[in-house]
Amino acid sequence: MKMTTKKIATLLPALATLLSALPLCAAVTVQCPGDTNGDAQWTGAEVQPANTQCLHLAAGDGFATMADGHLQYLFSFKDVTGVPPQQVMSAGALAAELPGPTIKMKEGSHVYLNLTNVGMMMRPDLFDPHTVHFHGFPNAAPIFDGEPMASISINMGSTLTYYYRAPEPGTYMYHCHVEATEHMQMGMLGNLYVTPLQDDLPDGTLLGSHTHHPDPDANGPLPGDRYVYNDGDGSTRYDVEFPIQIIGFDSNFHDQHIGVQPLPFAGMKDNYPMLNGRGYPDTVNSASLPAPVIDGEPGVVSQKVSAKVAARVGQKVLLRISSLATVDFYTMTVLGIPMKVVGKDARILRSSSGQNLAYSTGSVTLGGGESCDVILDTAGVSPGTYFLYATDLNHLSNGPEDFGGLMTEIELTL
Amino acid sequence: MKNLLTRCALRLLPVLVFLAFGTGAHAAIDGLTGTTFNLTAKAGYLSTAEGGSYLMWGYANGSSPMQFPGPTLIVNQGAVVTVNLANELSVPVSIVFPGQSGVTANGGAAGVITREAPAAGGSVSYSFTAAQPGTYTYYSGTNSDLQVEMGLVGALIVRPTGYSESNKIAYNHPDSQYDREYLFLLSDMDPTVHEKVAAGLPVDNAAWWPVYWLMNGRTAPDTMTPANNPLLPHQPYNCMPMMHPGDRVLLRMIGAGRDLHPFHVHGNEHKVIARDGRLLSSGAGANLAENLFTSTVVPGATSDAIFSWTGAKLGWDIYGFTHATQPAYCDAAGNPTASYPADRMSQTAADRCKPIPVALPNQTDLTNGQFYSGSPYLGTLGSLPPGEGGYNPNSGYMFMWHSHSEKELTNNDIFPGGMLTMMIIEAPGVTLMNP
Repeated sequence: MKMTTKKIATLLPALATLLSALPLCAAVTVQCPGDTNGDAQWTGAEVQPANTQCLHLAAGDGFATMADGHLQYLFSFKDVTGVPPQQVMSAGALAAELPGPTIKMKEGSHVYLNLTNVGMMMRPDLFDPHTVHFHGFPNAAPIFDGEPMASISINMGSTLTYYYRAPEPGTYMYHCHVEATEHMQMGMLGNLYVTPLQDDLPDGTLLGSHTHHPDPDANGPLPGDRYVYNDGDGSTRYDVEFPIQIIGFDSNFHDQHIGVQPLPFAGMKDNYPMLNGRGYPDTVNSASLPAPVIDGEPGVVSQKVSAKVAARVGQKVLLRISSLATVDFYTMTVLGIPMKVVGKDARILRSSSGQNLAYSTGSVTLGGGESCDVILDTAGVSPGTYFLYATDLNHLSNGPEDFGGLMTEIELTL
Repeated sequence: MKNLLTRCALRLLPVLVFLAFGTGAHAAIDGLTGTTFNLTAKAGYLSTAEGGSYLMWGYANGSSPMQFPGPTLIVNQGAVVTVNLANELSVPVSIVFPGQSGVTANGGAAGVITREAPAAGGSVSYSFTAAQPGTYTYYSGTNSDLQVEMGLVGALIVRPTGYSESNKIAYNHPDSQYDREYLFLLSDMDPTVHEKVAAGLPVDNAAWWPVYWLMNGRTAPDTMTPANNPLLPHQPYNCMPMMHPGDRVLLRMIGAGRDLHPFHVHGNEHKVIARDGRLLSSGAGANLAENLFTSTVVPGATSDAIFSWTGAKLGWDIYGFTHATQPAYCDAAGNPTASYPADRMSQTAADRCKPIPVALPNQTDLTNGQFYSGSPYLGTLGSLPPGEGGYNPNSGYMFMWHSHSEKELTNNDIFPGGMLTMMIIEAPGVTLMNP
């Protein structure tokens, strides 16, 4: 892959020309109740309605650095919540993040998700629309489902506002569904989960044999009771949570893409499997990765979601594991700490008669579009560094570098 | 990519014809019923949606053309089933029936796994008692690594005791009750294998690299054209589920290829009630059923799932009824009246008469899908620019059901295609074409 910043600079006016050629009605128009200046936030005199959440994502292109240093072109989303509408096009340009911004919802909330298509700067020959598919949303309607064949998708320079009543709690995921094989392989995906109303119960509420305490416990490692589901008995209680999304990049596909070549669908083979858009050891960097370097010049910081798991001994650690890999199934294990699966595909593991079907295991296997909720109970576990990694051991690699890939660390401290 | 979509849209013309005029009602899943089946192993050609044509071997119904997958055999629990296999291929073939006990094989010649019908005119007969209801598969037990890839595979459905048109159940329990059933026999295919067999060259199974992914023997968008489409003489089965809000749809899923496929149903989760022909049960119906939005379809394994959709909890009226549009149904305060149609109450009561809380962008800012009705509301036809939409004549809600290994949504390097179809939810009162 060869490209120069000079080329990018040349393309900027090209995109501007393209956008100015769009019909006059094309505009960044944010819908968010109570927000008057269109930045999808409530500031100053603006009043946030109860149980309301607004977001603004820009869909476009950008770059990320693989753990072996290989630069990859990608499509994805950038969080432009808080950006004034007239600045969204420039803020979103070449700023796509891998993975897209993590979306967290509270069960039952009114969620207004604004999606602005800022265009693909490096592929001005493309006019692709984009969508957000809230993967797993129960009883969906096509209009907000983001599957473009049965619905609408947003063209460059314009905004589509998705409305959701945040559904049953659990671990979902989101991705663009336009030309799904291409846009998802290119990286248009992110973590999405819904937290249960049970978190909001008053202090002292009895949940079976468990007493709910929402406030931080100053004397111990427990930051306050939170739950994966409305379990009614505290059986899905956890202390700290980590969304971990499995994806894979086929570097050949990405390199052909930036080279404006025919896309190799049939030959697709992921050689950069990643957790939250990073291969090991980048996964354990708790900060954003440095900005990708494009022909010697720093681009926009794009890999903001760490995959490092850090907890104190005694805490229950929730791993919200999802996969949006477009080619392979992956099996994940945790060495040294038992894994308890309490939920799958945003549903608590319960029999129809209410029997708890949570199970302890040594591994979970996920295909694309599947998720599970794994709780690691660290009570009695020695402090130290533990590993979460793929038992498909050939995926412990970063492209040609036979080391890394689908692995991260769990750091347990006293 | 737009040109591909257009090409895809053209390919879907028969869908429109299908939806608009129908092909006449036919009962449940297509297949053969009875207790004695006469299958013939023979060769034919598979058509792929982007224009490919490949040599296949398949099981035919007697003297009918070879078909892929083989005829779906539908039998009743307790029946003594006989399958007579005649062989017109130049290699010996056979059938195994995973999940059936006490299968006897008569005639033919001894094989490794079961008795075989010798090449070029041989025959063999299998018999078993269909003791347990459920969804099963059958396939060649002779050189299976090659012959199943070549197409010698099909579905076997055993209806439970007590099943009738008015009591549609998949197992001996009301938890398996359904209104409509559809087959999802998923497979994958490497055309190189078929080309080599056609040329009489040796096949290297270890080099297998699939570039086609099929549902009931078809690649998308052919999955959505009618069953018994004369343009697809060797692929009689389609895969296009339809329902009304509140219906229970039974998915009979079979892994008939080599890879695992994460099968994702848009619209709602589906409840997997059985695997490999047994209810997921600890004694009280399908009490161990799993609610999944994506289920892993495993080679050689089967599963049964119930899908339903009500439009509940969306926060707005899926029919678009408001006081302005339907004053008889919605009062001035935005609440439903006593006249609100009884057949439209699957949605949450509080959502009735509530409009969508956001404004949709201008048409010029949107790309409209070919299955989009032009309206966010179920059963409402909206206006669309010329050439857009048009493949949803009843303005249903359409949801893609597909492999979430997105690579598999292609036909030999061309997107879109592969392992995908559209499930249609039609508004109450709209006749479903395949009930």
